[in-house]
Amino acid sequence: MLSVSQASLAFGGIKALDDVSFTAAPGEITAIIGPNGAGKTSLFNIISGFYRPQQGQIQFDKQNITRMRADKRAELGIARTFQNIALFRGMSVLENIKLGGHTRLSTGFWASGFFYGGARREEARLRAEIERDVIDFLELDHIRKAPVAALPYGLQKRVELGRALAMQPHVLLLDEPVAGMNREETEDMARFILDIQARWGTTILLVEHDMGMVMDISNQVVVLNFGRQIAKGTPEQVQANPAVIEAYLGTSDRSKNDAGEVTA
Amino acid sequence: MITGHFKTDYSADEGIWSNWPKRWGLVAALIGLAIFPFIASNYALLLAGQIGIFIVAVVGLNVLIGYTGLMSLGHGAFFAVGAYTTVAIHHEWPLTFPLITLVISTVVAAAFGVLFGLPSLRVKGLYLAVATLSANFIILFLIEQEWLAEWTGGISGTETPNAVFFGVELVSQQAKYFFIMPVMVLMLLFAQNLFRTRFGRALIAIRDKDYSAEILGIALFSYKLKSFAISAAYCGAAGSLWAYFFPAILPEDFGLNMSITLVVCLVAGGMGRTLGPIFGTILILLVPELLKIVAANITGGDATAQTWVSPTRDILFGLMIIGFLIFEPMGLVNIWDRFWRFMSRWPFAK
Amino acid sequence: MGQFIQYIINGVISGSILALIALGIVAVFKATKVVNFAHGHLILFGAYFYFTFSVVLADAPFMPAWVSSWEPAWLMAYAGDAPMFSPRAAIASWVSDLPRILLGLVGALAANAVLALIIERLIMRPLLGQSAFAMILSTVGLIWVLEGSAGLIWTAEAEQVPALGPNFPIRFQLFDQNLFLFSGSLVNLLVALLLFASLMLVLRYTRSGVAIRATAEDQSTAYAMGINVPRVFSTAWLVASTTGAVAGAILASRNGLSPAIGLFGLSVLAVVLMGGLDSFAGVLIASMLVGILSSMAQWKLGGGVAEIVPYVAVLVVILIRPHGFMGQEEIERI
Repeated sequence: MLSVSQASLAFGGIKALDDVSFTAAPGEITAIIGPNGAGKTSLFNIISGFYRPQQGQIQFDKQNITRMRADKRAELGIARTFQNIALFRGMSVLENIKLGGHTRLSTGFWASGFFYGGARREEARLRAEIERDVIDFLELDHIRKAPVAALPYGLQKRVELGRALAMQPHVLLLDEPVAGMNREETEDMARFILDIQARWGTTILLVEHDMGMVMDISNQVVVLNFGRQIAKGTPEQVQANPAVIEAYLGTSDRSKNDAGEVTA
Repeated sequence: MITGHFKTDYSADEGIWSNWPKRWGLVAALIGLAIFPFIASNYALLLAGQIGIFIVAVVGLNVLIGYTGLMSLGHGAFFAVGAYTTVAIHHEWPLTFPLITLVISTVVAAAFGVLFGLPSLRVKGLYLAVATLSANFIILFLIEQEWLAEWTGGISGTETPNAVFFGVELVSQQAKYFFIMPVMVLMLLFAQNLFRTRFGRALIAIRDKDYSAEILGIALFSYKLKSFAISAAYCGAAGSLWAYFFPAILPEDFGLNMSITLVVCLVAGGMGRTLGPIFGTILILLVPELLKIVAANITGGDATAQTWVSPTRDILFGLMIIGFLIFEPMGLVNIWDRFWRFMSRWPFAK
Repeated sequence: MGQFIQYIINGVISGSILALIALGIVAVFKATKVVNFAHGHLILFGAYFYFTFSVVLADAPFMPAWVSSWEPAWLMAYAGDAPMFSPRAAIASWVSDLPRILLGLVGALAANAVLALIIERLIMRPLLGQSAFAMILSTVGLIWVLEGSAGLIWTAEAEQVPALGPNFPIRFQLFDQNLFLFSGSLVNLLVALLLFASLMLVLRYTRSGVAIRATAEDQSTAYAMGINVPRVFSTAWLVASTTGAVAGAILASRNGLSPAIGLFGLSVLAVVLMGGLDSFAGVLIASMLVGILSSMAQWKLGGGVAEIVPYVAVLVVILIRPHGFMGQEEIERI
């Protein structure tokens, strides 16, 4: 449903992406992995719409969105979280999440100003939806009125996920959702991601460095190195790929089982 | 002893008059506003009217600077547009109903606001500040030109009409007060409503992290222009009220001095909060009055000594701006917050 | 055609003065990332200090007579019977004024330096590291403080001050056109360009220059590298105050001493932004451009149009190149 074909992106002389192609199957989790500087966030940025690739295409549901403005892509149902948390620090958790619902509401300027009437009804409906689908779902009820700036890192990441969910997206781009988290938090986040997939059938794209989580939950893995795509396939295929091992995964005695095969 | 505010449905939780202190505080304020003209002197009413007009303008500026995070050092120009439009309308059609003139002036100012906002497509922060400053100077320059003088009176200014409601001309301070206050209250409430709904939230999002707002479907440029338009509209409305309030206007009334005063009222009061403009404007507009009283007491009304009142007022003004920035950058509202937080804990903790 | 060249020359001269003023703004920005909206008023103080030292003090009863007007015998012999506006008379009169000019300059430089240090220590230091908004507003507040103070200390009447250089008309020919120039303007031009060039060279090629630029980029790292950051800030403001004092003296002798000098500084701010805040070359180009455009506007459109030219120009430039001619764009990592 979301496909990237032969995308190339260059900044001056530096090639951030070089002929990257893959398709994220609907309802499945596709992971993008690779060393730092491989172009993973650049890839997300061209899918989100912050950069335009010099070559190649991005297609969503048969529609060519390569040149589409970033805010228009949100209306199509493409949501995203950021590597460095991009929450709105002047607002509470609830208000941040409500902003996820922006594209689904229609209150304009005049309705907002006069409030009693259309705006009030929409706000109440949005609130009920968010409580049910996001706050209960992500277990954020105890902090819903807290200012996001006061929350610990792990919770902030979860709130950002909640905000993306409030969009009821068809495609969810997660940029390092478990960066800096301990084992327990990582498992929680992985569970949430799988729950999202199960409950709403969202197509999920994941950039991550935590190989344990990546190999556990992904259906497809795409490997980038210096902007080029060096492998694509199921987690097992990618793990066994010698180019990938050399560029990124590396070998370790502990990761070889008794038969000398490389495992996660 | 209040242990919490409990609500039984989401709508109630979303409400702003959600607890009894706020509700009764609002009622008390409204009653106070209504009684004030019957107990205050003419001079106090003059001050109150001025403060009321300025509050409207500063609330508008708050939308742009406090909530959307953009910058403008040129909003005096919209005041001017509103005031001169009102004068021009009455010049041609002297019997226009004041509310209609008010609306038209507001709309014209909003249109200029969109024009002013165009640079915000390309620049932010400092550059936007200088761009708006430049636009302010240019608009005033145009107003002073001879070829517009028939409508604007050029550099020497022009007389302004009095508002006439159904044959009753508003000449006394009391009458003008009753025109200004309802307009101010309604526009305040409108602005407050904006920020608990989708539209206002989008503006705050642009302030806090604009690329994140974009990713959520908020068209940045369109909303920024709307923010400029709204803030300009409020200042235009204030300008229209200003024209009805004062007997005459001059272009230099609306220059850098006024633009900066508006920003200072906002910063002193607290940006991005509903009460900020109110507190800030009252403080900033009352300080010169206090100075006048002090000066009169010290010099005993000596005319030559009065020449130092104006420069001293300037120095005090500048020191206040700097003082607030260093010591209380979140404004008077912060002091208000701290007070209420203290009260909610007292006497168990200080 | 002759008029055209004449106005271009006038434009270049005013442009050079704009560049001198802009220098102070750029210097402070390069070191502290603060854009001083009140620089025009710093210049105002420089001008008034120059007036105080070169006129009020020099003419004071307790000062020896030769300070007020130096008339040694050889000078009188040189001047002789030269007619009033001849070069000889102008030079003689200038030499006669030299003591008061020097007193004025030294006094203005010293007094302005003290002022700048006070400002830097009391106002700029506490506001270190705050947002651009706070920076803008605090320097705007400074405008008020300085304007009020100047109003209190000196009255608002316009006064005369001695010119920095001898002032006599120079007539010359260019492309067969008769043009003229006041020597005083030429002196102003040379002083301005000299100061501009020296500052640029110091910043680029000396160790202290590098220290200044490093501090602007990243204060904490500069500290870690052993750079005395507070000293860098003070130095930057000193540069601003000294160039401001000289600029003030020039402006006062050219246009007369009046409070309007302060607002003039705001238009120079527009010029600085037009050139790109941190680029000397850009600022020089912008100054010359605005100087020439103002001159042309004065010629063709008359009236006070010249004062609006910098503002129109900066708007046009910003819309095309958002960071000025040669400014650096800051890139945000997403």
